[in-house]
Formats: sequence, structure tokens, C-alpha cells
Amino acid sequence: MPVLRSRDIPPAPPKPPKSRSNVDPPATPTQGREQPLPAARLSSPHSLPPYPKTAGSVSGSAPSSLRRSLRLSSKGSSNAGDQVGLPEVEKCIESRNGDVSKKQKLSVDVDGGFESGGSRVLSLRSGEKVIKGSPLGDGDDGGGGGCDEVVESNKKGKSIVESEYIEKSKRNNEKESVDRKRRFSREEKGKGKLVVESDLESKHENLVGGSVPDVELPAEEVKSPDEQPSKRSNGRTNGGRMERFRDTARRNASRFAYFNAQEEEEEEDNNNLSMEAEREIPSVEEQIEEKVVEDWPGPFSTAMKIIRDRAANLNVRQGSSSSGQAPSVQIKWVPQKGKGKDGSKRLPPSLLDLSLRVLVDNADAIVSLDHVPDAMRHKLCRMLCDRRQMNTNLLDLLLSGSPTEIRLKECSWLTEDKFTECFEKCDTSNLTVLQLDYCGQCLADYNIPSTLARSPTSLLALTTLSLTGAYRLSDAGLSVLVSSAPALRSVNLSQCSYLTHGAIEILASSLASVLLELFIDDCQSIDAMLMLPSLKKLEHLEVLSVAGLESVTDKFIKEFISARGAGIKELILSGCGKLTDSSLKIIAETCSILRALDIGNIPKLTDNSFGYLASGCRSLESLKLCRNAFSDDAIAAFLEMSGEILKELALNNVGKVGHNTALSLARRSKNLVSLDLSWCRNLTDEAMGLIVDSCLSLRVLKLFGCTQITDVFLYGHSNANVEIIGLKLSPLLVHIKGPVESPLQYSSVSSLI
Amino acid sequence: MKKEDTVKLISAEGMEFVIDKEAAMVSQTIRNMLTSPGGFAEAEHGEVTFPEISSVILEKICQYFYWSLQYSRGKETEFHIEPELTLELMMAANYLHT
Repeated sequence: MPVLRSRDIPPAPPKPPKSRSNVDPPATPTQGREQPLPAARLSSPHSLPPYPKTAGSVSGSAPSSLRRSLRLSSKGSSNAGDQVGLPEVEKCIESRNGDVSKKQKLSVDVDGGFESGGSRVLSLRSGEKVIKGSPLGDGDDGGGGGCDEVVESNKKGKSIVESEYIEKSKRNNEKESVDRKRRFSREEKGKGKLVVESDLESKHENLVGGSVPDVELPAEEVKSPDEQPSKRSNGRTNGGRMERFRDTARRNASRFAYFNAQEEEEEEDNNNLSMEAEREIPSVEEQIEEKVVEDWPGPFSTAMKIIRDRAANLNVRQGSSSSGQAPSVQIKWVPQKGKGKDGSKRLPPSLLDLSLRVLVDNADAIVSLDHVPDAMRHKLCRMLCDRRQMNTNLLDLLLSGSPTEIRLKECSWLTEDKFTECFEKCDTSNLTVLQLDYCGQCLADYNIPSTLARSPTSLLALTTLSLTGAYRLSDAGLSVLVSSAPALRSVNLSQCSYLTHGAIEILASSLASVLLELFIDDCQSIDAMLMLPSLKKLEHLEVLSVAGLESVTDKFIKEFISARGAGIKELILSGCGKLTDSSLKIIAETCSILRALDIGNIPKLTDNSFGYLASGCRSLESLKLCRNAFSDDAIAAFLEMSGEILKELALNNVGKVGHNTALSLARRSKNLVSLDLSWCRNLTDEAMGLIVDSCLSLRVLKLFGCTQITDVFLYGHSNANVEIIGLKLSPLLVHIKGPVESPLQYSSVSSLI
Repeated sequence: MKKEDTVKLISAEGMEFVIDKEAAMVSQTIRNMLTSPGGFAEAEHGEVTFPEISSVILEKICQYFYWSLQYSRGKETEFHIEPELTLELMMAANYLHT
């Protein structure tokens, strides 16, 4: 996780690192912002306007603005024309002369990767967020200087220069120098990616020659990419570059400044903007949907309609808003200071945790683990594995006697020899749970017969087996293993990349009537369609996880669900990118007892899926989304209908989540225990506060990447039981869901015998 | 300490620890024993016996109860646990749900 900064960090505008080193484009758009910036030189202390939402270093901007200033000054001095901003710039330049480092590369990563190469396109990732308002005034010219840098970095294909003109409209000339600093903006909401190209040189000249600082640039002046390459070849001198950067930045500032200023200062406008942006999408989608498929069942479309009307009514009532945008659904929540959770008061740690910690610290001194119940052993192992203090001595202790459950969440420390040594003498006759995750190094086909599968009855009692990451396990090896364990109910073979569909055949041939849970995440050699016949033979399958298997298609889902869907309780399909709404339709129609569903990272799903889910899966308790393209309205409508029984909801990086969802959550989700709203940047403090104060069962709230949340929410909410993870720096491993302590997730073992 | 405000915890060796009820309630198990309707002998006599918990451990547990009360009142100090006790203490803590 990138380092997150909270809002109370002293004002430091987010500045791109002005070093030569490339900053790697982050994996997700929004992560770019959180990149730790290399220390850059900042000579003169400019009073930078606070830009709390963005992480960055002030220093980053200084050199660049210095650079720009230098060029400006060089040009400015030659131009007789009074340029209001120039004197200031010169001032800055002089004061910072010493520190000017003309770094050729300006690496600013904003919101994800920069499409490299020659295409220097002025692009904004999220087009709808483009400025709607008036262009910026002062100090926009600084941006031009940035262009050259970008050009350079473009060539290296790595960096993006953002122009940050956030407060431009609010600054006067005196602060122009400050503005210059913020030349490289970043979209604070992490939605836009500005690639400032070195622009028309002529424009530069004009602007520089004329009254530079006060030029009001309409937003339309942003240049098209076509002109840029030609200009690029001209005047690649240092002097011209700054001008160009400044110019481009000036031009682009208007696109950003309005947006940013609004967002920063007025949360209402923020909502408006974001809501409007969101509205655009749902309305478009709506139209498409209406044309293409309008088979939402009645209740869902009613719910959708209600939600849309909610906003529409507001619009009507409020008349015209600032720029004719649809006003956001108003969230009324006032922080209850002093009530409920007192920030300073903490619950005392339990004796169990305290003693466990001491035990783990002194793990070497443990002589025996007899009489320690399995749950304690698992806790101990978990902590030891997390600290990487697990060793063979402890493993011997665990295996001594006739253990019933062994759970090692991480066996990468275990060598093959030690593994063989330890397990050769282990009495596995009473073993019911064996979990050796990440055992690739120690487990191979050839040492199974001597360790685990010593005889056909060696694993007679085994119900739960987890051998993730066993990359040397082939179908044959699995066959040997399974022949010794005829009572297996749950098999986890995730990341066993050597297994093919033959493995599923083996499982089906011996475990068809008993297997309840099957996890084959990321088993890349297993082809979904080839394994389908075997999969259909598993009569009582309750849990199926095929996360990350690209070969899972709509056809696969259709056939499998038609055959076995009626008994499925948990379905994990995250990362199966080929799935579309039709799969969800079938799932909703057939899987009536579905309790948990994970459809993260499936980009093709649309709001129709929610329609199907709302009407179909009435017992859904856990829903996980990640980076899906669902709209705020659809999620809200789904919650209105099915939110009552929902216990776990993850809306990780579902960017459109907004106030409608918040309201529906607050009203409906009385039983919600775990909520993940990471990277949902449209939610304000008020929305969060409302959710947390209304969902009284809530215990865990994940807010990674939500830099827009401030202490207003953190200390103002009155729900004492909620643990908020992801904002301040908190121990990260705390929130990772521990292993399911019971051997089976949905059934009890005894009920099957 | 008044009789009504205290409970007696009896270890495996028969050693009796008399502590405040409030302190004992830190343990969920003891709280349930003392407050659940059902006429349990523990609730009536205010005595709870722990045949599996030794005196040393039980003493440490009582210390923990008071430490926990102190902690939640704002005085946050360290609770030191001797390493030799940890294993048994952990199991007792698990049983007592504390």
C-alpha cells in the first residue's frame, strides 16, 4: 500500500518529484498520488496554499517553478512589456538561483501510467471532470514551462506532468510565484491524467511577449495534440521550453483550476461536480439500457427510479444551481463531537492477545504444545508465520502426538528435506485439517508418498486440505494424495500452476459425492471448459472459486450453474474478465441459496447485473466488488432491496459510489459488519459519517486511498465499535481476514457423515 | 469491600481469591456465570471454582482484571507477563474469554 497521508499534514502541495529518476507509473490511477516523492530541493519558503488532499512534497514544485521562472525571466527580461507576474518571478528566481537544478526530466506520476512515446496528448483520464467553469486568470502561464520537461520525460515514456492550477483563480498576482510552484498539478481526485505537451511555440512567444500573467485562457485553448509534434521540434532550447511549459500549463490550468478549487474548498460543489459526472454516466447507461435490454425485474427498476427521482426532485426544488448541474443528494450529518467514541480512550487489550504476544516473543522456549487447543495453536502459528519466526522445531512440536489440525498459512521457509523429515514421522491418522499454504518449495510429487500419503489410510480423517502454491504438484501427485484422503470435503489448490483439468477429473472420480468446497484460483493450466464435465459431477459442491482463471466464460458459467447452481453457496469469480451480464443473470436465476459472491475485477459487468442480483439472490450476505463499473444508482437500488441481510460489502475502487449509495447503506444495512469503501473518492466526510453512525452492526470499515476523508469524520462519528482501517498508518496485517477457523465454511463436518 | 460487591475465585489448589465484582466481570465467562438468569450456584454464593486453573495463573488473571479496569479509566500502563506463565495463561484467558 502506498503511504497515505492524512489531511492534517502541514500544507504541502502535491508536487511531482523533480528528479531525473523515473517514477514508476502506479498500478492504479489513484495510487499515483501516493507515491513517495524523492526529496527535492526547496530553497525559499513559499507560503504554499494548503492542498491537503494530495500527498506530495512541496519541494517538488520548487525546482520546476524555478526552472520555469528562470526561463521566464530570461524571456521576460528581453521583453520590454510589463508583465505583472514577471518581476515576482524574477524575485523568485534570484532567491532560488542557487538551487535551480535544471532537471531535464520531470517525472510526475499522476493517476497511473502515462501512455508513452510520441503521442503527447493532452488528455484527461476522466473527461467529465473537465472544467466547466471560467478559465483561470493569473499565473497560468507557469504551466508552459512544464512542457519541455514533459517532452523529455515523454520520450522516456515514463512521466506525466500535471499542471496544478488549483488555486489559480483565487490567487492574486502577489502569489503568482506561489502559483508557479503549483504548476504541476495533479488531479486530486485521482481521476485525471494530464499530459502536458510542449505546445505551440508561437503561443508561447505570444503569451510571453504579451502580458503573461494575466492572460485569461479559455478552456478551449487547450491545444490539440496534432500541433504539438511540430512545435516540439522547434526550439528545444531551455529558454523556449519553459515558455512552452508555462503556456501549456496556463492553458490547461483552466481545465483544472476550477475543478480543483471547487473540490477543495466547497464540498458541496464537490458533490455537484462528482454527482454530475456520475449522473452523466448513469443517464447514458440508462439510455443504452433502455434501448438494449430492459428486463430489470419490477422491484429493481422501481428502486432505481426512486433513486433517480430523488435527485431529480432535489433539482426541481432547488431550481438552478451554480452551473445548472444536478445538485447532489444532500447528506445531512453533523459530527457528534464528544459523543460516543472518545479518540483517546482505548479498550484494554485482552489477556489472550497479551499472553500470545509474549508467547510468540519467546517462541523458542516453548517445550511442548500438548493440551493446547487447536484454536490457540492456529493463532500461534499465524503470528509466527507473520513474523517469519516459524521453524522446524515449532513444526515438530505441532506435529507431535497425533495432531488434529495443522494450519500453516505460509510454508515458504520450509525446505523439502525438513518437510520430509518432519512429516515422515508424523502420525496423521487423526488429522482433520491440513493447511500448508505456499508449500511449493517443499511439496513435490515424489515426496508425497513418503510423507503424507504413506498408506491408503493415512489421511482417513482429513476433511480440509489446502496446498496453495504447490507449483510442483502435478495431476499424478494429486492423485496419490487424494487416494489416501477419501473423506475430503474442502480442497484448496490455488496457484498450483502445474495442475490441469485432469486434476479435476481425479477429484471428481473419488470425491464426487463428498466434495463441498473447491478453490482453484489462478491455476492457469486448468482450462475451464475442459474441466466442466468433471466439475459437473461434484454433486454437493457449495463453494467454488475460479478467481483469476481467464478461461472462465459465460458459456462455462451457464453450463455449470445450470447443472449445479442450485446448491452453490459461495461463488468467487473475481478476475474472470470475460464474464458479462448474462452470467449474472443465470447465477441470479439459479443460485437461490447463494450467500457470498465475489465479482471484482470484471469490467464488462453493467448495472443490469445488479438488477438480476437484486431480484434473484435473496440470501446474499457477502458481496465483493472491485474496480467494477457500476453506477451509484444501481448499487443504491440494490441496497434498498437486498441490503437488510447483507453482512459484508466491498466496494473497493468502485469509483462511482457516491451519496446515493451512502444513503441506502445508512437506511438499509442494519446487519452490515464489514464494509470496504477503499478508493471511493466521491464519498465525503458527511457521507461516511452517516454510514458509520447508522450501520450499528458495523465493525470494520476499510478506507484505503480515501484521502478525502478528514478528521471531521474520524473524530466526529459516534460509532464506538467500528474499527477504521486504512487511513492513518495502522498495522496492516490486522485487517487481513484470518483463516476460517472451522474446517468447512457452510456446513459442519458431523452433518455429513 | 462489601460482601455484595465481591466474588470469590477458587483455584485448582483451593486457594481463594476475593476480588471486586466489577473486576471479575472483565471476564466474559465469569460475567455470564454471575448474571445469567438460571439460579446458578455461582451466582447465588458468589463463588466460582476453576479446577483447571492453578493458583499462580489465577493470581495473574486477577491482576489482569484490575489492570484492565485501570486501563479503561485512562491509566495506560504495561502489563508484564512472565514468559513461563504465558502458555497456561493463554489457555486460561481463552477459557475465561478475557
